[in-house]
Parts: sequence; structure tokens; C-alpha cells
Amino acid sequence: MTVSTSTSNKTQSYGVQSTGPANIVEIFKFMRLTIIWLSIIFGAVWGACWLFGVVLPACVEGFGLPAEISQTIRYFVPLVAIMVFIPINAMFMVLFERRALALFTVRKGPNRVGPDGLLQTAADAVKLLLKEDITPRGADAFMFTLAPIIFFAPSIFGCIPLLAAATGDHRLFSIANLPTGIFYVLAASSIPVVALVMAGWASNNKYSLVGGLRAAAQAISYEIPLVLSLVTICLLAGSLDVVEIAQQQVGGFLHWNILGAGKLLAVSQASPITFVTAPLLAICCILLFWLYMTGACAEINRIPFDLPEAESELVSGYNTEYSGIKFAIFFLAEFTNLFVVSAIATVMFLGGGESPIPGFLDTGFFVSVMGTLNSLLQPVPALQWLLNSLVDPATLSCVFWAVTKIYLIVFFAILIRGTLPRFRIDQLMDFSWKRLIPLVLILFLAVAYLRELV
Amino acid sequence: MAVNVGNDQLKTDEMIINMGPQHPATHGVLRLLLTLDGEMVRNVEPVIGHLHRAQEWQGQNRTWFQYQALIDRVDYLSGMFTSWALARAAEHIEGIKISPRAEYLRVMVSEMNRITSHLLWLGTYLIDLGAMFGFPFYPFREREKLLDLLEAVAGQRMMFNYIRIGGVQCNPPLGWFDKLKRFTEEFPDRVDEYEAIVTENPIFLKRTKGIGRLSKSVAMDYGVTGPTLRASGVNLDLRRTKPYSVYDQLKFEVPVLEGDGDTWARYTCRIREMRESNKIIKQCIEKIPGGTTEEIRKLGDEANKDENLKLMAKKQNSGLRVKAGEGFAAVESPRGTLGCYIISNGSDKAYRFKWRNPSFSNLSVLPELLVGHPIADIMAIFGSIDVILPDVDR
Repeated sequence: MTVSTSTSNKTQSYGVQSTGPANIVEIFKFMRLTIIWLSIIFGAVWGACWLFGVVLPACVEGFGLPAEISQTIRYFVPLVAIMVFIPINAMFMVLFERRALALFTVRKGPNRVGPDGLLQTAADAVKLLLKEDITPRGADAFMFTLAPIIFFAPSIFGCIPLLAAATGDHRLFSIANLPTGIFYVLAASSIPVVALVMAGWASNNKYSLVGGLRAAAQAISYEIPLVLSLVTICLLAGSLDVVEIAQQQVGGFLHWNILGAGKLLAVSQASPITFVTAPLLAICCILLFWLYMTGACAEINRIPFDLPEAESELVSGYNTEYSGIKFAIFFLAEFTNLFVVSAIATVMFLGGGESPIPGFLDTGFFVSVMGTLNSLLQPVPALQWLLNSLVDPATLSCVFWAVTKIYLIVFFAILIRGTLPRFRIDQLMDFSWKRLIPLVLILFLAVAYLRELV
Repeated sequence: MAVNVGNDQLKTDEMIINMGPQHPATHGVLRLLLTLDGEMVRNVEPVIGHLHRAQEWQGQNRTWFQYQALIDRVDYLSGMFTSWALARAAEHIEGIKISPRAEYLRVMVSEMNRITSHLLWLGTYLIDLGAMFGFPFYPFREREKLLDLLEAVAGQRMMFNYIRIGGVQCNPPLGWFDKLKRFTEEFPDRVDEYEAIVTENPIFLKRTKGIGRLSKSVAMDYGVTGPTLRASGVNLDLRRTKPYSVYDQLKFEVPVLEGDGDTWARYTCRIREMRESNKIIKQCIEKIPGGTTEEIRKLGDEANKDENLKLMAKKQNSGLRVKAGEGFAAVESPRGTLGCYIISNGSDKAYRFKWRNPSFSNLSVLPELLVGHPIADIMAIFGSIDVILPDVDR
């Protein structure tokens, strides 16, 4: 017996390996990777904005040129911010998604290129850029090239008004704000579907054609609940201005639109009927948020609504024939769209850049940190100037919370992707026209009345 | 897909799509010529033979010893069963009786192989339904453990060549039985886990309930076997209806579903079969003559003399021959009835081989199921009948 036990110890190398959730290490690595990448992204954007918004105008003025020129340079800051932000951010999001999916599925995910896989998507991007750009025989070359551009462009200019909301209406970004901001964002976000139909048709591939047509049908069906849910929130807020909507939600999570824009707090002071109407309003708003997320997932073709791509049926649908840089642009735009819809959800429902609990890592905290740093840097005036011109504590806290919330929603979307199978096209249409649209219309009427009764 | 809008009618043309042989969801190299009206399938023509390797002809041109190593490649997900069918047919000609220990080992490894095959089906089926990233990896986690165990006993993860003419190749290594026992104890919980994610998932139910109904009579007409047939309500499982090996000494249920015979029924049938296979393995560990490998080692030379514990009745070398005569044997593979017919003339090669592969008959029913369904259901239905293309084309 003793012999057999000693030999069985040697044979541990095969068979049932140790089970159990040894995922803690992977979760830690995932969080470390997220923090590193986010610091890189926002450091780069922050630096670019600082150069264009502070240093360059200061130099221009230092040379004695007229103030109009420095002002014009400042106007370019939102543009620079977006141009720097979108490509790096999309690269990070691809890695974020792959690592998150790996976490959900007992794998490790990409962890070879660069330290702990940090540079995986950068390598992928290089690979895609170097690939041959193929236009299939019989394809309409002009349309084929135009489609990815039209798909990508709206995601760039669509997110401009959100920039002002996410930075707390910082003076460099307030130019990007529009009085009808959310209307503009929605208008921009409905353009990509044209590109999908174009891509599907121009590819000269039957799978792509079916994918493109599916994309059109789906986008039209799901834009209605999506837009109506946002319209209802605008009705509740009384404004189309994203900055104003974000600023109305100041003061903790009870003031957020998802919980009825602070109407729950009005219960104790007002008439008894508010004990019913205020919670009802909050429930309506939570349903609206859910409707918005459903519509948004369908709008940006994510599982369970990824029918236009449908790898197992249509072999990636509209982008079957794309390769190289054109495919990269499609890919980039898809992830940017995910970021944009998450940003809209954050601004419209989750209080934009506000801390969920007043006093917890809010503007006051960042101001006090800045004060401490200032006093520490007292002996070196140059560094102090650098710090004060570089960091605005109010904007920092706003961006911090906005990004945290946006990435939580992105994470949620990835979680859904890791869980659900795909709808069938007719079930998808049924779900939209028979369930979501009636529900959102009812909610619209309910909110219209309830906001008067609270 | 030109659309001509007339005065009072909308006329649409049919579109012919060539799905496969290079398509991610056709599980290999099946080619389907689809005639589509919009998204609806009007006609299907499966084109097979892309993977034809003349397995029967190869068998007639290779020695017995070579061929029994080759044949597990036919159905690469359940190699044990093809080896077993071949071994049983040859033993039928020879008139050899296999020792109980070898029979038990055969049942154990085969049932393990059945579980791995069903687990792979479960994962890929969910991929077919569009759950591309999340769920499919969980069945593979358990499958990996079983493949490790099979590798430990057979030396290869998928092409085992463990069941030989005349018995099985060797005893499992030390500690193997303990590990298998631990696996059988935790496996039902894992199946519960899969069911928690999948079985009650509303999207999954919408995609599978009432889709691809296969009626009893149609299924029997086409010679469909295996879980696909049992999901349509026909109680045909060779392990029970025509017990071979030691299956008559084991307690297990054969899941037969009354009702529609839709893709959901086929899914449920396979899930239950995994649980039953697990039970069979558990019983085998308890009942196997001679017990674990450690106990056999303790017996020493006695084990080699005991007829009950002898593993191999024929010498395994290139001179392996089978008596002249003809024999047929069938086993219940994860995909259905797998039959092997041999005519031997007593030389080192067989005179004639004929295989009855379950996937071939199961695939033949596909056009009946697909017509009238949208494109997305092609994957839901084709995945649910669980076809392995090398098994179809041989």
C-alpha cells in the first residue's frame, strides 16, 4: 500500500486538476491593466488638450500676436481631444473586452504581447494596417471604400457634445456644447446604418447583403424605443442640452434621472399623493434606462442583437469581405459606438460626472488634494504653475466619475455578451414592435403625468 | 435579390446561397445549397463527400493491426465507439469471449467518451445559437478533465486505439480510478451549472422550442438513430434494447422524450444522457472485477493468471489475424447506432468492410427539417442533430 501511495503522488501530473476559483489573480491583473491603460489614454488626451488649450495660446500671446489667433487655437481643443482619444480608446476597449470575456470564461485572454498583454491590440492594429487591402471582384469599389468612412465618421462627430458634459462644461470644451445636444447626438448615431447597407450591397456577397438588410431593419426598429426613452428623459429634465441635463443631477445618486431626478426626495414635504407618484416615477425611469440599454445594444449590433454580423449564420455579415484598414475602421467604429452609447447613458441617466454619494471623492476632495499639492510645491513656483495650469480639480473629478460610470456600463455590456445567445430576426422584430415600443409609449405618457403630480 | 414593385403586387425573386463547405457553422465541410426567399429557406440540398477518405477501402488494404489504429479517426469525437464496433465484429468472427474486467473497462472509457462528445456538442451548439463567447468554454473545462483521464489510459486524447480486437490495451495508471471517481462526484453539479445558464434562458427557449420538429414516423423512415431519435419518442438504445457487453448488469435510464421532437427535446435528451453516463461510470468503478489498478498491482502474478482479470485475448502485433468468416456488431455511439460488418478470409487483411455510420442517416433527414425555417434556424437545427462530417463521408 505504501508503494502505491508514493507512486500515485508521482502521477499527479495527469487527470483531474485542482479546481476552484483561482481567478483572484486574473481579476487583479485585469484591473491593473485597466488602470494602466486608462491612465495612458487620459494622460495623452489631457496632455494634448493642455498643449493646445494652454501652452500654445500662451506662446502665441507671448509672441505678441492678436488674441483672436490664440482663441482660434483654443477652439480646436475638443477636436484634438477626440482625435487623440478615439483610436487609443478603441484599442483599449478591444483589449478590455477580450480580457473581461476571458475572465468570464475560465480563460486567461491575451497576455503575451507586451507586459501582461498590454500591447496586444496595438500589435493587432499594426497587423491590420500592414495587410493587403482587398476589394473583391464585382464589388462597387467606390461604395465599398466609402462605407467604413460613413460608418466611422458619425461616431466621431456624434460624441462632441458629450465631451462638454463629461468635462463638467470646462471652458475649453464648452464650445462643443449645443443647446440641442442630445438631438444632435441621436441624429448622428442614426447615420451608420446607411453605411452598413452600403457595405452589404457593395461587397457583392450574398451573406453581406442579407447582413446589410438585417442591419437596416434592426436599426429602424430599435431606434424608436431608444429615442423615445431619451425623449422621455428630456421631458423629465425639461432640456435637450446635455450639459444642463448633467448639471441638474447634482447631489448624489437620488438626484439622478434613473431614480426620477430627485423627485423621491420631495416625498416627505409634499402632499400624500407623492408617496405613490414619486416611487412610480422612479420605477418608470429605471424601466426607461433598461429600454435605453436594450435599444442601444441593438443599435450598435452587440450580442444578443448582433444579427447583422451573426458569425455562425452570415459569416460576419456586412464585413465579411472587408480586410486590412477598412476592417480596422469598422472595428474601431463599433467599439467607439459602444463607448458613445455608454456615455449617453451616463450623462442622461447616471448623473454625468457627479459622485454618487456627496462627499465621496467629489470635487471638494480633488480641490483639497490640489491644495495639499500646492502647499507642497510652494518652494518651486514653476512646478506650481505647471500643476495649476495642467489640472483643474473640478474637471478632474468630473472626468473621473464619468469615465468610471462609462466603463461600468461597458463592462455590463460585455457581461451580457458573455452570457446570452442570439435572437432570431423575426423574434427580434417582434420584441421591438410588440413589447418595447408599446412599453416606451406608456412610459412616456406616465412620466408626462407623474412629473406634474410629484 | 431584385425586387420589382408592380402596380398591385410585390414580387421577390429567390436567392441561391452556397453555405459551406467553408462556413463556420457547418461543423466541417458540409455544403448546403440553399434556396432562400428573403430569410426563409425554400429548398435545401446537402452536398456531402468533401471529406471522403475511403475508410472501408483503406480497411481492405491495411492489416488488422494498422486498421484498428486508423478507425478511431472516422468519428473523431467518439473514437472509442468505432474501435469497439470493429473489435466486437472481429471477436464475433473469432468467437472470443472477453474477460469481465476488459468489458468493464470498455464500458467506462466509452461512457467517458460519450460525455466528452456530448460536452463538445453542447459548447458548439451554443456557438451555433450565437452565444459566441461566454458559455461554450464551460463544457470544455469538464471535457478537458475527461480527456486528460483518457489520455492517461490510452496515451492519446482523441484517437485512442485503446479498445483492441480481443480486449483492451492495458490497465489504467495508478490513481486513475480515484481521479475518475472524484470527477463523477462533481460532474452532476457541473451539469446543473450548465442547465442553470442555458435551460431556462428565455432566448435559448425561443430559439429551440418548436423549431425543427422531427416526427416519429419521419425519423424512423430516414433511419435516424441516437439521441435525435429518442428525442422524437422512439425508445431505441442498443445498450438497453439489445444489451451488449455488461450493460445488462448496470442500472441506468434511457431518456426518451415524448412530444414534439424539436431541437429543445434533442438538447434535453443529451443533457440527461450525460447524467446517465456519469451514473454508469460510477457503477463501473464499484463493480469492476479486480478493483482499482492499485489492487491489481498487489495481486501481482495472480492477476495475469485469473481469467476474469485478463485484459487481452489476442496478441497485439502486426501478425494479428482474424479467422475466416463474417460478422456484424453494432454499438450505441453518442450519435446513434454504429454498425460494423466484416468479411474476413483469414489473412492479415479483411476481405470486405462495411460501416453503418449514424451521422450519415441523421444528416439525410436535414432537408425535411429545414424547409420553411429562416436562415438562423439552419444552425439551430443542424447543430441539434449533432453530425460529425468525417463520420458522414467516411
